[in-house]
Amino acid sequence: MSNPNAVAVLQRAAELRATLTGQFRDETVKSIYAEAERIAGRASHHSGTARYDFDQRIDRIVTSPIFGLPIMALLLAIVFWLTVAGANVPSAMLASGFFWFEDQAAAVFTNFGAPWWVTGFIWHGVFRGLAWVISVMLPPMMIFFPLFTVLEDLGYLPRVAFNLDFLFSRAGAHGKQALTMAMGFGCNAAGIISTRVIDSPRERLVAILTNNFVPCNGRFPTLILLATIFVGPLVPSAVASIAAAGTVVGVVLIGVVVTLAVSWVLSRTVLKGQASAFTLELPPYRRPGILRILYTSIIDRTLFVLWRAVLTAAPAGAVIWLLANIFVGDVSLARHISNALNPLGHAIGLDGVILLAYIIAIPANEIVVPTLLMVYLGTGMMTDDVSLEEIKRLLVTEHGWTLLTAVNLMLFSLLHNPCATTIITMYKETLSLKWTVVGTLMPLGLAFLVTFIVASIW
Amino acid sequence: MGPLLTTVAIGATIFGLFLALSWASRRRASQSRHRLEDALKHLFDLEYRGRHGSLASLTGALRVRDRAALDLVKRMQTQGLLVARGAEFDLTPEGERLALQVIRAHRLLERYFADEARLPLPQVHAAAERGEHHLSPDAADRLSASLGHPSVDPHGDPIPTREGFVPPAAGTPATAWPIDRLARIVHLEDEPPISYAQLVAAGIEVGQMIRIIDSSPERMVLTDGENEFRLAPAVAANIFLENAPQAPALAGALRLAELSTGQAAEILGLDDRCQGYSRRRLMDLGFTEGATIRAALTTFAGDPRAYEIRGTLVALRSEQASQVLVQPLEKAS
Amino acid sequence: MSAHDCGSCSINAELARMGVSLDKVDRVVALAGNPNTGKSTLFNALTGLKQHTGNWPGKTVTRAEGAFAFDNVRYKLVDLPGTYSLLSASHDEEIARDFLLFGHPDATIVVVDATAIERNLNLVLQVLEITSRVVIAVNLMDEAKRKNIEVDVRSLSRDLGVPAVGITARTGDGIHGLLEAVAGVSSGSVHTEPLRIKGTPEFQRAISELVPLIESLAPGVPNARWIAIRLLDGDAEVEQALSSGRLVDLVASQQETAQRFSAKISLQGTQ
Ligand SMILES: Nc1nc2c(ncn2[C@@H]2O[C@H](COP(=O)(O)OP(=O)(O)O)[C@@H](O)[C@H]2O)c(=O)[nH]1
Ligand SMILES: [Mg+2]
Repeated sequence: MSNPNAVAVLQRAAELRATLTGQFRDETVKSIYAEAERIAGRASHHSGTARYDFDQRIDRIVTSPIFGLPIMALLLAIVFWLTVAGANVPSAMLASGFFWFEDQAAAVFTNFGAPWWVTGFIWHGVFRGLAWVISVMLPPMMIFFPLFTVLEDLGYLPRVAFNLDFLFSRAGAHGKQALTMAMGFGCNAAGIISTRVIDSPRERLVAILTNNFVPCNGRFPTLILLATIFVGPLVPSAVASIAAAGTVVGVVLIGVVVTLAVSWVLSRTVLKGQASAFTLELPPYRRPGILRILYTSIIDRTLFVLWRAVLTAAPAGAVIWLLANIFVGDVSLARHISNALNPLGHAIGLDGVILLAYIIAIPANEIVVPTLLMVYLGTGMMTDDVSLEEIKRLLVTEHGWTLLTAVNLMLFSLLHNPCATTIITMYKETLSLKWTVVGTLMPLGLAFLVTFIVASIW
Repeated sequence: MGPLLTTVAIGATIFGLFLALSWASRRRASQSRHRLEDALKHLFDLEYRGRHGSLASLTGALRVRDRAALDLVKRMQTQGLLVARGAEFDLTPEGERLALQVIRAHRLLERYFADEARLPLPQVHAAAERGEHHLSPDAADRLSASLGHPSVDPHGDPIPTREGFVPPAAGTPATAWPIDRLARIVHLEDEPPISYAQLVAAGIEVGQMIRIIDSSPERMVLTDGENEFRLAPAVAANIFLENAPQAPALAGALRLAELSTGQAAEILGLDDRCQGYSRRRLMDLGFTEGATIRAALTTFAGDPRAYEIRGTLVALRSEQASQVLVQPLEKAS
Repeated sequence: MSAHDCGSCSINAELARMGVSLDKVDRVVALAGNPNTGKSTLFNALTGLKQHTGNWPGKTVTRAEGAFAFDNVRYKLVDLPGTYSLLSASHDEEIARDFLLFGHPDATIVVVDATAIERNLNLVLQVLEITSRVVIAVNLMDEAKRKNIEVDVRSLSRDLGVPAVGITARTGDGIHGLLEAVAGVSSGSVHTEPLRIKGTPEFQRAISELVPLIESLAPGVPNARWIAIRLLDGDAEVEQALSSGRLVDLVASQQETAQRFSAKISLQGTQ
């Protein structure tokens, strides 16, 4: 179907190409830059170097061989500490407010003679699902996202990639994977899309398959809650929030280690290859735009993640209510299922209810903790005053949780399969069913394996 | 089991068997095509080096029994791809044309795997070996274009043009090269794989400038100015050399990776070993001859480092930074 | 050289942000530039939309479209992914290049970082090879000032042969002037004479031989010279566009939308 005239032109072009000296592209780029130097020399003048030096001095500290890594760890710890310390109180307040409202609304329904199952389904099912999700997720995100966006706007993220590249290159991966992981903190789906900054298809695939090991904002609240309830009390109360933040940072670091280990294994087995060309521009520091930060962190990120959670939490709430209120024999459906899952759950240091919560939460696993609490509560209710002590009492005293349960739940939450949106994004970005399946099942298998090992040696 | 279930089960079994059979027969057909193409390639390779193929060389190269090789030769004869002169085989023009197509696909794929997919060099050959039978001439043209029409593969072998033109074999084996004359490596023979792997492991690459400093029947010693390579002559015979273009008489020239932090330099150019994506990207970022560059930042591990170039800050791993040749402007501050 | 006299544009023309109402636009404007030069910030300032921005190269990964009106003319604005060059055939560059070549924008704004003009000019000069309807937006003027870098946009404009305007996209400084230049260039009332790289004598000879061949093959092609350069470089997509007759079709139908025809061989990993 190709046009003979066109073929002749291409042929001639090929012949002419052979007459040109040197590599054509090299010569082209060289002459372009020669011209660029001339024009830029006339158009741009540098007077004094004061501020420029200042930026460079900051860079020398931030990426310094001695301080670079500690500064990074410190920043990470501060961000999490602010999030942990700041989120507890508003979370509890939101929850109390919502549950007070739930009671009032349910009472109104009952007074007007609505059947018990209508009241139950709407208020103790759907509404309660929403209430839990919003009160557990909103406060940490409102704190974390603005902080993160400030770092992003300053230009710090590429420095992180720069500092950490030595690890990624040893793992056969690309340094920019650190950037995509940072995006994954916000949302793994966004993290996977951002892997487009990696040009090498092999390294990009590695980054896609491992992005899940960064706990996204949907999963933070789980980590924060567990760390606050179970690790905080182990230390004097003055440093409780620091210990909790330290625990979250520890979990994140485990995620980084797992990412590197899995990348290493992948690039030596199914995704064999060398580390490719690594060119990373370190953009100049820029003053963050306050309005933009508020907009991006609140509308683009917080509300985006929250809205998605809400959309899945409402039906999940309904499902939980149904499972808890449909009885087969004299035991609820939820009990039946969780009893069946119990052996598996106990083998990995968890229990059947937790696994049931994970199954219900597949569409968006940020709703795991709310789901868990709702299943535990069954048809029961919380007192108006929802406090961490109350939740802890429910978990420890009534359902026999131990530190092991908390640790393994954190690990499971860190490692287990990506949520539905992430899986779909993975497919869209790789256009490969095979890699999507690998990216889904590999973390799940790893989660079971690791928690099993921890439970066995505890 | 109900009759319906039985019918369904039997139906499914038959269908499954049918699928398996048709898959197997298609597989056999494509395998025999691959074998024929491998035979063409082998015969062409020998002719290119001025030798002739024989039944023995075919059985050796394709790792098949005599029977199978004989069948293959017959098939090639009936298809008009090959003529036998006594015990020696020659390709017909049609046979040569097909052989060149396969070789073109193979070498282009090697380029792709080395430059773009960045497979380790010793694996490039095997990967191309698998892909070459599935790349149509049109697809090969497109691949060639997307790689910027390279003229040689990563081992320095010429890539036949679309029209089937191959320049004559280039280079002199290192064993026949005079001692102490500066040479450029133009080709590394990738057969047998063991010797090739040895060369790669030693760090010898196409494009490198080397000099032979000692040669005896037991051992040859080569140097690239920095490292010395001690090789058995049988292995060294797989290195093909040409006169160095014009010895870069640049006293004090360094590789970018060797610049100490804070030191500034002028870029002299990119190494020949830097090809494909990596070369294009560096050029785009302004790593061109004459540009001024300064090693600005070093990380914890010493690698990567960030360089200031044309008013921007660009981080490179040392592997790439050692492919940029520079002339220091001043002593480190 | 008349890059500066702008007869038709009025002093008090107003910018109206029109978000995503793309149905009845009069002209199409593309936003190109190196990564991280503030293209998305400018895009947001003009359209009122909220493209993701951030200080790391590579965050804009798709093409975004929005609309604005200026001086009663409605424009569609296309935010292209940032690229260092148009030569390397990475995915981003393909998107950007295909749009410039086949999307037929009425004007292209190339956003340039005022603190690194030299590096940014690499892309500018390549864009000028493709299209002459270009306006240079020298962004980040505030950062340049902070770093004591003075940028003479007049000199830039004179050397490049197209209008250049200094702006600070974040605060909106200079955007009015930029839009006036865009109005002039896209309406054709401002005449531009883009700088083209000369190259070696052999190169010039090769180009001058190929250009007529290409023009007779695809009469009316707006940038035969660029196509000749790409053919000499052995650009897969351009070769294909030419031999499949697509280039001819494109020129004939003057298509408004970007055509994507990447028959790129995508071999992922070593499956
Ligand atoms: N100080 C300053 N910062 C800017 C300006 N324009 C953009 N930025 C910042 O530069 C960074 C990159 O901007 P963005 O629009 O995302 O760049 P793009 O990659 O070209 O789309 C962001 O952090 C912006 O906030 C400006 O005029 N002044
Ligand atoms: Mg952008």
